[in-house]
Amino acid sequence: MKRLLRLSGNLLTSRFTSPVVIGFFLLLYIGVAFFTEEALITQMELVRQSAVLVALLSLLPLNIASRIVAEMLRYIERRRLFSGTAADNESELFDETIVLAVSPAITGLQERLDGLGYRTYQTERSLSAWRGVSIFPARVLFLSGVFCLFLGILVSLVTRTSYRGPVIEGVALPTPSGNGGVVEQIRLEKSTGSILSKQLSMEVAPARPGDARVSCGIYPPTRYQGSFVYPRFLGVALLVQFSAPDLQKGFEKHAILNIYPAGKEAAVEIPDSPYRLMISMAESGDGSDPYMTGRMNFTCKLLKGNEMLFAGNVPGGGEFVRDGFRLAFPDFRRMVITDFIRDYGVLFVWSAAILFGASFLFWLPVRLFFPLRQMLFIRHGTDMIRACSRTEGKEKMHGGVFNETLDMFDAGRVERKTNLG
Amino acid sequence: MIAVKLIPHLLSWFGIVLILLRGFPKRRSVVIATSIAGFVIGVVGAFLLLRVLTGSVGFVIITSVLGMCFLFLWGVSVAAIYSRAGRGVTTGWGVRLVSTPLCAGSVTAISGIVAGAVCSCTLPAMDSTLMNLAMLGSISGALAYVLAYAALAVEKRISHSFTVSPSGMISAVVALQLFSSSSIIRLDLFSPLSMKVMKFAHDFVHQFMESMLIPDHVFVWSYLWRYIGLLFGKEIGFWGGMFIWFTPVLLVMCAVQYERLPSVAHIRQGAERRKLLAAAIRQRRLRLVVPFIALLIFTAAAYQSCYPNVEYWDPKPIVVTATSSGEIIIPMKSDIDLEDGKLHKFLFKQGGKEARFFVLLGPAAKLTVDLDACAICKPDGYGQADGTVICYYCKTLIPLETVGKPGGCNPVPITFTEKKDGVHIDALTLINEWTNTVQSTTKGKEGGK
Repeated sequence: MKRLLRLSGNLLTSRFTSPVVIGFFLLLYIGVAFFTEEALITQMELVRQSAVLVALLSLLPLNIASRIVAEMLRYIERRRLFSGTAADNESELFDETIVLAVSPAITGLQERLDGLGYRTYQTERSLSAWRGVSIFPARVLFLSGVFCLFLGILVSLVTRTSYRGPVIEGVALPTPSGNGGVVEQIRLEKSTGSILSKQLSMEVAPARPGDARVSCGIYPPTRYQGSFVYPRFLGVALLVQFSAPDLQKGFEKHAILNIYPAGKEAAVEIPDSPYRLMISMAESGDGSDPYMTGRMNFTCKLLKGNEMLFAGNVPGGGEFVRDGFRLAFPDFRRMVITDFIRDYGVLFVWSAAILFGASFLFWLPVRLFFPLRQMLFIRHGTDMIRACSRTEGKEKMHGGVFNETLDMFDAGRVERKTNLG
Repeated sequence: MIAVKLIPHLLSWFGIVLILLRGFPKRRSVVIATSIAGFVIGVVGAFLLLRVLTGSVGFVIITSVLGMCFLFLWGVSVAAIYSRAGRGVTTGWGVRLVSTPLCAGSVTAISGIVAGAVCSCTLPAMDSTLMNLAMLGSISGALAYVLAYAALAVEKRISHSFTVSPSGMISAVVALQLFSSSSIIRLDLFSPLSMKVMKFAHDFVHQFMESMLIPDHVFVWSYLWRYIGLLFGKEIGFWGGMFIWFTPVLLVMCAVQYERLPSVAHIRQGAERRKLLAAAIRQRRLRLVVPFIALLIFTAAAYQSCYPNVEYWDPKPIVVTATSSGEIIIPMKSDIDLEDGKLHKFLFKQGGKEARFFVLLGPAAKLTVDLDACAICKPDGYGQADGTVICYYCKTLIPLETVGKPGGCNPVPITFTEKKDGVHIDALTLINEWTNTVQSTTKGKEGGK
């Protein structure tokens, strides 16, 4: 049991776990790509359906979380060493560690290191010197970003649910639970933003007494009853009335037509007949957007089989009559095809993006201009000194200072020997 | 002619043995023996494989093995950079493993088998009789023997200070294998890789936008959407392919360049310290030479893949018309012979619309009529070469055996009837099929999600 626990612990904290798991999923992708054109979607579906793959994927955030803890502990341990509160040091905390056989006086050293731009701190048995700023905060931010990214992917893959429905003016919001408030108005306006060319707002009345009125926009998506409201396409909900000389009964249907922007066609099949209507929104003469203004004309083609019988424009609320055929649109409303998405992984991925950005902004100037360089000299008994060095950049310059300091110790030792002799 | 065709493959093989000899300096005899044996096994094995397995299966197997070698290089390069970047990462077991005779023998044998198999793909059609096999084995064995010992002789003349790291060795060996295979269009890896990257980029962008709830093109400025549209083009496939192609060898170079210098803190003479560091830096620079050569070879392989020395059969489309009943009839034999196994292209125009299609007799002696376009790429058309047709847009090779089957980058098949007077195609179906295909692919490539 102990061995198993130790093995699990090693697996979780190992630097190799994440690359190996990522490599596995890469190989899986390549394998899947041999059999299907839709490799990414298939792989995502495979992960969703397999507990083993989910467990394997969950190793990534777990490994990163363990790494954050491990690196924090190492950082704290190193800080304790530099403040002189730790009993002994671990050589693996440093790039270089050396034990000198004699114990020279440390007194002159502090002034020398101060002169070289190092800040120093001396205790009874140790002298620590450092220069620059540690990139550790950037490292923690980066690892936290990686953690959030993988956690977001995992949560999204495992828990995401999506439901698509048409949001229509005057009709209740088609939420997955079915108890959305009535959509009072859908507004589309031009935007002056640098990314979005249009602004959309769907004003939703309170579903229950005491609820607040909600306005759903485009981005960032609004949350409604636990789901993100993600508008996808614009269109029109149209009441279509049609009659033909050879049809016994007239036809009437509320059609949901994905016909935005103007010119995009959608078909309305007339059941039990050879007729089919192709409907699109007509361009307005003045260049305005009919969806925005609400003044809509519809271009209609009537087809019998593959043959087109006639085409013409019908205004919203109006009708078109010819040769015994009648086509009317007594009611039309703005409509937005909307996805209601329940996915908490999205929040983690957004957080990851912010953390990566913050990490980079911290790391770049520190790494370029003020990387941390550290030295630590600890006296062991009366005739030994342990010297340790570590850098996060500008290695050559720091290495030179470190070696010259050690040379100085050596020179002091020789001088002392000569004096004693 | 065959000898000329074999020259680049044999030179690659020579280079592979040379690199392996330097990479395993204490295992020369193992390298020589296994390389010769591996090469002969590769030549004979692939010769049998290509004749026993019909269609493109043999080529697919060899290409897959090459792909695995490339993946192995990726693994090695990531491990190399990881071990350099991480403090406290122990790689002693890896170093010990590389120096064992088993490792030297395995790497050399696999390299030999792959190199031999690639060489075998250039051989002309011959029956796999025992006599032919024995002859092939003897000739390939003799060639391998001569080249391996020539490589040994050259290797002995190279300075001992010129060392190669295990990751550098693997990168050079894989580079030479891929250079060798890139001259055979059915073994080429770079073009299929670009195509897969293009598809992945398309799927990834689509999934990413949906996952992050990013608004659709209806709500985004069109100039901005055009930038997003770049991610759907073949250029992203090419550059993504280049990234995947070159990254492993660049990682290996970085791993060598950023190798930690030896600790000199124990040396108290400054001059001696500097001497030691200078020697280490010089050694490090010398170890960079082989990965740098590998980088050049990878470049040559990618170039060879993008501009293959192959002439595609791509006839000018012949304009055809429909009969009064709306049928296009193409006679079996007129100025052209539909049953000569070559791709024959036609152009049909009607009411301002036009459709390009081709008729081809497949290896199973069955005619197929297809659009000169596929369901996923821009309709740049197809050319024919060496048992395949190639999609000019994404450079995907489609084996002739699968032409006429729908899906992926295969040409979109068209329903037709084969009669005594020729091939009959419904004109309206053809026009509609072309319009639908071209509309959907153009929209997809120009920024539709």
